[in-house]
Amino acid sequence: MTAALSSFDDLRASLGASLNVASMVERDGKIVVSPQSTEEVAAITSYANERELAIEIVGAGTKRGWGNPVQANILLETARLTGMRGHSWQDLTATVAVGTPWAAMQRTLAAHGQWVALDPLWPETATVGGIIATNDSGALRLRYGSLRDLIIGMTLVLADGTVAKSGGKVVKNVAGYDLHKLMTGAFGTLGVITEVTFRLHPIPAQTRSWSLSSEAAEPLGELMLKVLDSQLSIQAIQLRASSAGYALDVELATLPEVLTLQVAALDRLAESVVATSLVSQDQPFGAREELFAPAGGLIVKATMLPSAVASVSSEVVRLGGSAVTQATGIMYARFPDGVAAKALVALRASVTAAGDGSVTVLRGLDASASPWSAEGVSALSREIKRRFDPNGILNPGRFVGGI
Amino acid sequence: MLNSAILDALRAAVDVEGATLPSGLITATNQLQTYECDGLTNMRALPGAVVLPRSTEQVQAVVRICDQFRIPFVARGAGTGLSGGALPAEGGVVISFARMNRILEIDIPNQRLIVEPGVINTHVTDAVAAYGYFYAPDPSSQTVCTIGGNVAENAGGAHCLKYGFTTTHVLSLEVVLPNGELATFGSSAPDAPGYDLTGVFVGSEGTLGVATKITLRIVKRPETVQVLLAAFDSTSAAAQAVSDVIAAGMLPAALEMMDRLSAKASEAAVHPNYPVCEALLLVELDGPEAEVNAQMAEATALCQKNGAWEVRLAQTAQERGLIWKGRKAAFAAMGRISPNYIVQDGVIPRTALPVVLEAISRMATEVQLRVANVFHAGDGNLHPMVLYDQAIPGQEEIALDLSYRILHLCVDHGGSITGEHGVGKEKQQAMGYMFSEPDLDTMQLVRHAFDPHNIANPDKLFPRTRLCGEKSGPYIPHPLETAGVAEFF
Repeated sequence: MTAALSSFDDLRASLGASLNVASMVERDGKIVVSPQSTEEVAAITSYANERELAIEIVGAGTKRGWGNPVQANILLETARLTGMRGHSWQDLTATVAVGTPWAAMQRTLAAHGQWVALDPLWPETATVGGIIATNDSGALRLRYGSLRDLIIGMTLVLADGTVAKSGGKVVKNVAGYDLHKLMTGAFGTLGVITEVTFRLHPIPAQTRSWSLSSEAAEPLGELMLKVLDSQLSIQAIQLRASSAGYALDVELATLPEVLTLQVAALDRLAESVVATSLVSQDQPFGAREELFAPAGGLIVKATMLPSAVASVSSEVVRLGGSAVTQATGIMYARFPDGVAAKALVALRASVTAAGDGSVTVLRGLDASASPWSAEGVSALSREIKRRFDPNGILNPGRFVGGI
Repeated sequence: MLNSAILDALRAAVDVEGATLPSGLITATNQLQTYECDGLTNMRALPGAVVLPRSTEQVQAVVRICDQFRIPFVARGAGTGLSGGALPAEGGVVISFARMNRILEIDIPNQRLIVEPGVINTHVTDAVAAYGYFYAPDPSSQTVCTIGGNVAENAGGAHCLKYGFTTTHVLSLEVVLPNGELATFGSSAPDAPGYDLTGVFVGSEGTLGVATKITLRIVKRPETVQVLLAAFDSTSAAAQAVSDVIAAGMLPAALEMMDRLSAKASEAAVHPNYPVCEALLLVELDGPEAEVNAQMAEATALCQKNGAWEVRLAQTAQERGLIWKGRKAAFAAMGRISPNYIVQDGVIPRTALPVVLEAISRMATEVQLRVANVFHAGDGNLHPMVLYDQAIPGQEEIALDLSYRILHLCVDHGGSITGEHGVGKEKQQAMGYMFSEPDLDTMQLVRHAFDPHNIANPDKLFPRTRLCGEKSGPYIPHPLETAGVAEFF
């Protein structure tokens, strides 16, 4: 870390003219810097790139434990890259700086009855940038798609300080490569995103959630597929699994006058499959976040086809864990420390057997292991990383395969 | 460029020795001429060879040869693209997917299917219609265009306002990289670990490799579909109705607008019985019946509030079909009112519609030309058609210049140079107007990572130094279009 320490005064001197140096401190042998503009980010990365200093990019840090740990000389915080850059509510688009907390952005958009139709973890604290870098999404994805479907443009800073724009501010646009898709979920290894433009949706007039419980996962899994196959105005579906039993949560979003009809139809569907009635349920979709609430434990994200959700849920419970799985086939599962190691191996085998899914550890991993399954990363992905960040300074090692 | 040794190697790559199947290699000049252009018919280049592989392995073998000898190649589906995406490099190789047109797997419970790239767009819907599903992206060439071409161009259509573009519906790809290696991007299950290479490949216009297998998402058919036709006295009134419908929280399946000139041409061509007006608005809503009924009542009221003097709700599937037929015939119908025309494809923020239309009209008047407008009004995608007469000396140049200035106008209003036709060969220069050098250089990082030797559909998409006297051209109907097989919009 001596290299970093000796660079601090150097960096301060080098950037002093273009950067508010008050936002630069030393902490734990690292330079911690909080730029306020895209240009300041560019000055920092280009400085670090020339000297081959590693940068870790941090928003609110809510998901900092996801992926491999990063050994960095510089901690680049996005905390001061905040605020709305524009909300063209009549065009259903908005541009926002990446350090903005998700919920703060949503409150601004809600003034015009609009939102970015995505329900990430910890919205009050998690930043727009961190959510994009980790490609987080919740149960709403079933209806509205994931971030890749909601992001229409981006401003990014490359390792060498190049500032580039991708996409634009219109929803329909096929000019050039969709670099913003490449950046989404790249864990900050290709560039620093500074601003992003979203396509917005109107907040639905009315949403109501209903639940069904069962002692077995299979009937609920069958019902879930039937609901997916229906023409109801479904907004979100999830299957909860624990040693206490299973529950299927369904959220409808439509006009108030239509809701009653749809609830009746949903009820008939439920009766025909599981022979029980719907129970109105308040806010069941916080269940994913609740999995993370107690400290400790092994938490994984597993992906699978919808048809495999019930059987993999059963397997999680059999292995001593609990899970919340969205109907799109994205599961969050938690295991107590005692059974974690064994459960991880068994779950990976179970997901592999079910199809082409994956299991990624989000918390509680043995420090020597990789969060991702054994498979490495393609030569092409390494080449993309090398082209974007030849000195390997941006979140080095953080991502799958150590890229 | 292709000597006999290379041709022999290509033949060996696509023909199985001793097999009785027709050869997969075309080298005769008269046959090669079939492939010298796509839907952008004024730009032509004769390829050195066309191969028609039957399998991924054969595609790999062909691309390896191209890699070894640094021969440019381009994949081709039905050749309906409007920006020259499938235009061959002079003397290069065309990989036709005409013989890779199988649907490999249908998985209804998981709402996906796997196809080869040569499968025709509507055949995907045909394959799943019995289960109540459809494939949402619907470019108007959909009865002939292929999924492989749709993936390359990130094809849209009238219904992408609600359902998204091709990229929304591609889950996974098997791709032959420009070095001949096989790669799988994405997975049927969501969030495959690693970079979203599927996302960057879709819409890359053949410059990053060749897709050989495509996993698509399918969508449940809505319970009901309703189409409303509304007549307005001005395009700005119709545009305001569009904004009001969106602001009311509706997400129509389609929101289409035609101005007087294009409605008139369509009427002459296919007689959809349109009211004679300055702006015609078509609102399609789909979903649960009760929801659509309620929303259609509101949409109708919003049109009337903005001065619609006739609103017509199609009562039957036939009436709906007729309304759409007129809309889809708009491009080809221009031939009825003008000897020549250029179709453009620009995007603007929806709210800029009145001011941009006003500017287009002023620009057209200044050079004494007419511009007919058809647009996907919901997402701000304009298709201005510049009408002119080639027989009048100098008019074509004026028309071309006007069409490019319209694109620049779109960019100036925060929009894009293409919403669905792609950049290809046609709009290479306009890319330089929309994106800065650093933006383009960053895209090139991706390009070079995939294709370091620049052989995958080279000299497309990115701007290049304009050659002396070079020009882009007017719209000439594709043979398929004049034959009535396909329509573009």
